[in-house]
Amino acid sequence: MARTSNQRRLAVISGLIYGIFYLYAIGDLNLIGPPVWHAYLAELSLERIFRARSMLMFEAVAVLETGYLIWLISPLNLLITGLLSGLFMANVDGALALRRQVRSCTVSRGGLFAGALPALLAGGACCAPSLLLLLGIPALGALSAFFGWLVPLSLLALGLNRIWQKRQGAPPVLAKNQAFETD
Amino acid sequence: MKLRYGIAFFLTLVLQNAWADAPIPTQEPLLLTQDPEQYWQASLSGGPGKDGIPSIDRPRFQNADQTDLKDDDIVMGVYLDGQARAYPQNVLVWHEIVNDTIGDKNIAVTYCPLTGTGIGFVRGDTELGVSGRLVNSNMLMYDRATDTYWPQIVATGVKGPLTGQGLQEFRVVWTTWGRWLARHPQTEVLSQRTGFARNYRRDPYGSYTPKGGYYAEQSGVMFPLMNENSRYPSKREIIGFRTATEAVAIDKQVLRDEQVMRYQGERQDFLILYDHGLDSAWVLQGAQDGLPDNLTLADVDFGPAGPVGSRLTGLTPVNAIDAFWFAWYAFYPQTVVLDGKN
Repeated sequence: MARTSNQRRLAVISGLIYGIFYLYAIGDLNLIGPPVWHAYLAELSLERIFRARSMLMFEAVAVLETGYLIWLISPLNLLITGLLSGLFMANVDGALALRRQVRSCTVSRGGLFAGALPALLAGGACCAPSLLLLLGIPALGALSAFFGWLVPLSLLALGLNRIWQKRQGAPPVLAKNQAFETD
Repeated sequence: MKLRYGIAFFLTLVLQNAWADAPIPTQEPLLLTQDPEQYWQASLSGGPGKDGIPSIDRPRFQNADQTDLKDDDIVMGVYLDGQARAYPQNVLVWHEIVNDTIGDKNIAVTYCPLTGTGIGFVRGDTELGVSGRLVNSNMLMYDRATDTYWPQIVATGVKGPLTGQGLQEFRVVWTTWGRWLARHPQTEVLSQRTGFARNYRRDPYGSYTPKGGYYAEQSGVMFPLMNENSRYPSKREIIGFRTATEAVAIDKQVLRDEQVMRYQGERQDFLILYDHGLDSAWVLQGAQDGLPDNLTLADVDFGPAGPVGSRLTGLTPVNAIDAFWFAWYAFYPQTVVLDGKN
């Protein structure tokens, strides 16, 4: 089973889009108005870089406002975004490679979405998870402590799904592209 | 000589230690409807960890003409020792506590967005931080000297060495920037240069201008409550005050209409005055000979520190708090409600 460069391109683009959604979900990336062009460094220190807001979510050290977009720059959040995006790319790549195998493709896509979704729900509004804010169901508030586990859950699920894809015959992530489709 | 230096060094160390560990000033607690431990048992994590919501510990201020606040933006105003400071809600929503100093008083201005409550506390030589835990949706603060946990609304220690002790409060006025500035033209404003990177142009919960999202009157509550009541919509803004023995909620809309209200409490009488300039209320506790008869707002002037007038002589101010109805009732289910009908 091989991949084409189109598949790889699609995987890369979807991974980047996923990364943007993740940064938006955790509040590091946002749309603002009216437009402002402004940048400032809040505090650049190791203590600040490693200071956690909640599990696997870290303090930003700088702010970049570019027109309608505001970006709170946290080196560790970017690292985690990179990991999640990379795993998502690899999963999309694997799912595309397995698309001819009906059963494998269905399971693979299910695993991809099940793995990708938790991290997007992990974002917090400040002192409560955004999802609870949206649902407004008090009984769910008791679960708020578990929202911190959603990012590691995503990392784990995406990693496991990619291993499963590989066992089903998907090419390794770093294997060379095939110039054209073989089948 | 060496001995003298040694003693001086030792004393310096002892004094430094005593200074660093000085606990937060306390007093007898106000009304508690549960044992303090029960509040702790009912508390749960809101998501972020301890200090995951960072308090502002080195606040910077700017002059009124340097801020880009709009007239209808919500601020929490403090007037102490002849100095006025405004703490914009759009900044406090991200930090919830500002450890500040006004004159020679170390204070903490606290705001819980989920319960809509702004309360000031005297903090002595320690600081307050955000624990990340909530009870009745209200933030549990902790003090950095003793690690005692304090729900903001009941202002009483519920876990730690100071359990059962009450914090010393002062008035924080919930109003708009335009109103606060009109009352306090020399006011300073908390700067957005907090040392943290936040999007201060967005409130993660909703909006106050106009009310929307979590702040809308009919919107839901996110966390379990110890007591619930549907007399008013959950997010209806009330003004509450409490003593050691009772709690009173004032329907803000009724107060706007009536302007002056009286309440005959279990032990004292209270006078509630509507401050049109700030769209807020002031609560005064009656003197031994009761409250002045037939008092109207024409008898009262509202100065920087609150209501003044010869007919108010002998009355004692009582701290009043703006709060969402659901939160007030969750802590004070036996609250008296002044809705103009009683």
